[in-house]
Amino acid sequence: MKKPTITDMILLILSLALCIGVKLVFHACGMKDDGSYMTCHWAEQAVFAVSTGLAVTAVFRLFLDRKSKAGAALAMSTTAAVTALIPGVCIRLCMMETMRCHAVMRPAVIILCVLLAVTGIVDFVLCRKED
Amino acid sequence: MNLAYRNCKGKPVRTTILILLTALLSLAVCGGTLLVSGLQKGLGSLEARLGADIMVVPYEAKTKSNLESIVLQGNPGYFYMDKSRFEKIAGLDGIGQISAQFYLASTSSGCCSIPVQIIGFDPATDFTVTPWLKRSFTGNLEDGDIIVGNDLNAFPGDTLTFYGIDCHVAAKLDKTGTYYDSAVFTNIGTIQKLIRSSLDRGMNDFSRIDPEKVVSAVLINAAEGYSPEEVMNDINIHVKKVKAVQTKEMISGISSSLKGTSDVIGVLIGAVWFLGLIILLLAYSISVGGRKREFAVLRMIGASQGKLASVIMQEAMLCGILGALAGTGISLLGMMTFRTAIGEAIGLPFLLPDALQTALLALFSLAAVLLTGTAAAAFSAYRISRIDTALILRGDNG
Repeated sequence: MKKPTITDMILLILSLALCIGVKLVFHACGMKDDGSYMTCHWAEQAVFAVSTGLAVTAVFRLFLDRKSKAGAALAMSTTAAVTALIPGVCIRLCMMETMRCHAVMRPAVIILCVLLAVTGIVDFVLCRKED
Repeated sequence: MNLAYRNCKGKPVRTTILILLTALLSLAVCGGTLLVSGLQKGLGSLEARLGADIMVVPYEAKTKSNLESIVLQGNPGYFYMDKSRFEKIAGLDGIGQISAQFYLASTSSGCCSIPVQIIGFDPATDFTVTPWLKRSFTGNLEDGDIIVGNDLNAFPGDTLTFYGIDCHVAAKLDKTGTYYDSAVFTNIGTIQKLIRSSLDRGMNDFSRIDPEKVVSAVLINAAEGYSPEEVMNDINIHVKKVKAVQTKEMISGISSSLKGTSDVIGVLIGAVWFLGLIILLLAYSISVGGRKREFAVLRMIGASQGKLASVIMQEAMLCGILGALAGTGISLLGMMTFRTAIGEAIGLPFLLPDALQTALLALFSLAAVLLTGTAAAAFSAYRISRIDTALILRGDNG
């Protein structure tokens, strides 16, 4: 394994932050009194599933050669951009924009995904430049 | 510029630290300025929205905290008084405009997991809600129609159910930064049906009221020649079981707390700016101090004093532009996406400036941070342009 670059580490940290954060820090609204969930809960689950994939890819990237790394970075970038659309666009959130899913979860997911997408592109460009 | 760029690239740690310092300064200046403008715009919106000189509520709603929480902050709640009191108030001297409002809090099961405030008003006499509604809705509000606040995730054409009654969303209000954003508006006929339904389902604390014979609040504008205070005192003396309050007094608490918050943030921005200037000054001074031999060699091979100063200034500009762009970008992204959470956390009316104003504020903070970074580097540039090459190369740092 070659020494990881700064962008490798940023991609790994951001993916882990998204994966762990969406469950523990900026999670969606809680369970209703009757034990059922609102739709935002499923947005949280979807983001968790996709971000787990991103985190695993970020770990695998550390063992790949430059060309494969560039491809993985581009794939991560695209996936992150799509993940940003899960809460609110692909899966509807709660009615009130003052609720946790709108006020906390969605902004945090968008910011982390934008940073992931930008870092992915930067890493792709750097990898291509080295070639 | 090429030399400055290569210098920055050749020392990534030094460059990263300078960029990070500038980014932090930019983050604080841009974020803080947006926060203060958001609070000021929120208060302006609240003042404009109140629109009435006097508000009359039932005596049981008189406690300021209760009234403020319902009327100003929009915490869902409701209270009622007999309609005869509205008629009595309307007959008093000094009443210019008068209109009644009806409040009802939805149950959590209706449309979403938390209750919303439903406000009924009379379009024929209303002078506080209609001016705001006209921006988004020009038609007639039919029975069963509702207008939703901007924070509600419902759109024209949707149907929301409150107390088992289906309501048709006719329009959505523009963002106001006040509790209007999370409220639902409807006409008298609809809200009376909703109140009746809430009573039938046993979900209303006022179990013995007749929805057609009650109002929640009366909004009044004083007639010409009368002061609001005069009219308020007149109502409090002559109408029983009601409490008249001046709306401006109601927001004075919010206004002073907002002024205090704005002042504290303003002082913090100033302090961060000053500290940033000092830290950047030190950072450039230490960085340039450690590069005296490098500059002495440059002088030996023919670089003029001006050239050395110019290299330092260009390095500072490069780091400054990158740092300021990163800091301003992160601060804009953070403020835009977390605006609701910020407003909720502050607990005061919060409305971010429009796109043009935000862009101007961002440009202002970019320029201010760049100027600060350049000013900090200028001092080091001046010092290095006056170094004694011979002394430095002999090993005496003088």
